[in-house]
Amino acid sequence: MKYCKTCHVHYDTTLEHCLLCNGELERENEQIETYKFAEIEKKKRSRFFHRLFIFLNIVSVLISFYIDYTDGLPLSWSLVVSITNLYAVMMFILLTVPTIWTSKLTKSIIVTVGMVILIGLAIRDHQWALDYVLPFAVMLNIFLITILIIVNKKKWFDYFSSLIIITIIGLVPGLLNLLRLTIVTWPSVACFSYALVTLLGIFFLPSKSSREEFRRRFHI
Amino acid sequence: MKKQKYWYKLDNAGKIFPAVSQDENSNVFRLSFYLDETVDSTILEEAVNRVLPRFETFAVQLKNGLFWNYFASNTHHFEVEPELSQVCKYFKSHTNQGYMFKVYYFENKVTLETFHAISDGSGAMHFLKSIVYNYYKLRGFKIDHEGKILSEKPYSKKESEDNFVSNYDKSKRKNLQEEKAYHFSGERFSNHWTLMLKAKVDTKSLLNLVKTKYQCTVTQFVTALLGYSFFKEALDFTQGKKPFKIFIPVNLRPYFDSITLRNFSLYIKATYDQKRTDWTFENMLEITKEQFKDQLDKDKLQSRISSLVGFEKNVLLRVLPLVLKTIAFKIGYRILGESISSCSISNLGVVELPSGLESRILDTDFVNAGYGIALTLISMKNHTNIIMSTPLKDLSIINHMIQFLVKEGLDVTLDTNYKEGYDEIL
Repeated sequence: MKYCKTCHVHYDTTLEHCLLCNGELERENEQIETYKFAEIEKKKRSRFFHRLFIFLNIVSVLISFYIDYTDGLPLSWSLVVSITNLYAVMMFILLTVPTIWTSKLTKSIIVTVGMVILIGLAIRDHQWALDYVLPFAVMLNIFLITILIIVNKKKWFDYFSSLIIITIIGLVPGLLNLLRLTIVTWPSVACFSYALVTLLGIFFLPSKSSREEFRRRFHI
Repeated sequence: MKKQKYWYKLDNAGKIFPAVSQDENSNVFRLSFYLDETVDSTILEEAVNRVLPRFETFAVQLKNGLFWNYFASNTHHFEVEPELSQVCKYFKSHTNQGYMFKVYYFENKVTLETFHAISDGSGAMHFLKSIVYNYYKLRGFKIDHEGKILSEKPYSKKESEDNFVSNYDKSKRKNLQEEKAYHFSGERFSNHWTLMLKAKVDTKSLLNLVKTKYQCTVTQFVTALLGYSFFKEALDFTQGKKPFKIFIPVNLRPYFDSITLRNFSLYIKATYDQKRTDWTFENMLEITKEQFKDQLDKDKLQSRISSLVGFEKNVLLRVLPLVLKTIAFKIGYRILGESISSCSISNLGVVELPSGLESRILDTDFVNAGYGIALTLISMKNHTNIIMSTPLKDLSIINHMIQFLVKEGLDVTLDTNYKEGYDEIL
């Protein structure tokens, strides 16, 4: 034990100087003090490269817009570059934030489809994205999660949120079709039907656990 | 019998924590036991996993619903970890097998750090006692639990009750309004590091001082002392426009006959006017006693419970999707949350252990991390630990408090997580 003769307090730690007055501590007895905490780590994991990646993408967007703008309006290729930059940043954030992989998969598909549609709009040819990419990507995602739930029934409630979100998105192509925003009808109708059947299945399957899961997820 | 699968709504106190917690404001508190031997991490992990199914409110994971978060049962294997240098460090549950508590070991110390959304100090203390009791059992010691270890008693559904809701009385609601409080500011340690200073004093001497000289309780004494130290050392306090307000969580279990392990505490506050310049310790203590007496009234406490629960029963709030609620909580907390209190004091009281276990546990820590100064008290055997933690480098207020205790004739032994050379790192 040590003692500070200025502050009149004992010290049961390895300090050589008083924390309160900075005076030198005197040894009081032979009892050896120990430091009872984990030592501080000198280096903290740097997020420099994360920031650099986002920064370079922002620079890329600004430079592209500037060069494209100096060539005259309307903007053409810079929109595609910017959308790709934005996609890269969003995917980077999505993949680095720790969460279950089904959630990552669903979010990645949603972001990717969104990016493809935006590129379609940027090049003034978006029908292929709305007619084919959106419905097929959503159907594939619903199918994968359904298979996952069937194979791994014990963890089905972990995949529940992803399934609900993607099936609701699956209704969108049908809506676009109704609004005559798509030209080729059958992929949208197939996607809408598949999503609707899945959604009805979730709601009306006579499973006690699924009803319980609904109560949890939707309690007000 | 206990259910294998279960889920809970978050309690009133816990609802806001998942939305507002971050590195600077972890809402994590620490309880530690110093054992009479070096901790065997394998046995400790086995002890935690043996005890965990009994503690339904700790064996949970946070899930997102459409309107609210909720707790679902968690059966993953729990892993203990070596203690970190940062006290009450913020952690994300998905990097911790979904659990909202951490169990650390360091030499002879077992530490439980709990996210406030699942429990308060009283609930967490039951959990830690059970872990350490089972640790010694697995080590081959035969210790009589004497009815003081919860894991050895049969499970009661009352342990998992939300007693905020069960004590809600619509007719007792009233409008809660809080004015902003003075905030002590200054340079912070880097990397969200918190300095912890433990002042160990003899319990008998402390009780003798507060009972005979000041005719008050230990909490009232320490509250007035903290207020007085701020008045003496924080020079900008009397020049400001905001009062100094200390928040003191009150364990509501004795008032409402509760044994819940979930959050069931409510803050009372000691408020000191910044316009007064003639503060002495004695007149601060008198005001503290009056404020405690006024607020520690069952009807008034129930009225506040009802007001808080009434807020979450608001239809508009309830139907707001969770994503928007989270944003609203973040904004609300930023505007109001921290600004209404200057600092906090939490007294966990005496740790009651079976005699066979008490002889094996040398000491205990209870640490709350927060802005300004977070002060905690915990007693074991014949000593009381007054633990002050702060993210600020200015130790003048802590210094004043220690000097006051010394001048009152108490024998003070200090321990800290600060080490020479840390100045260069922090």
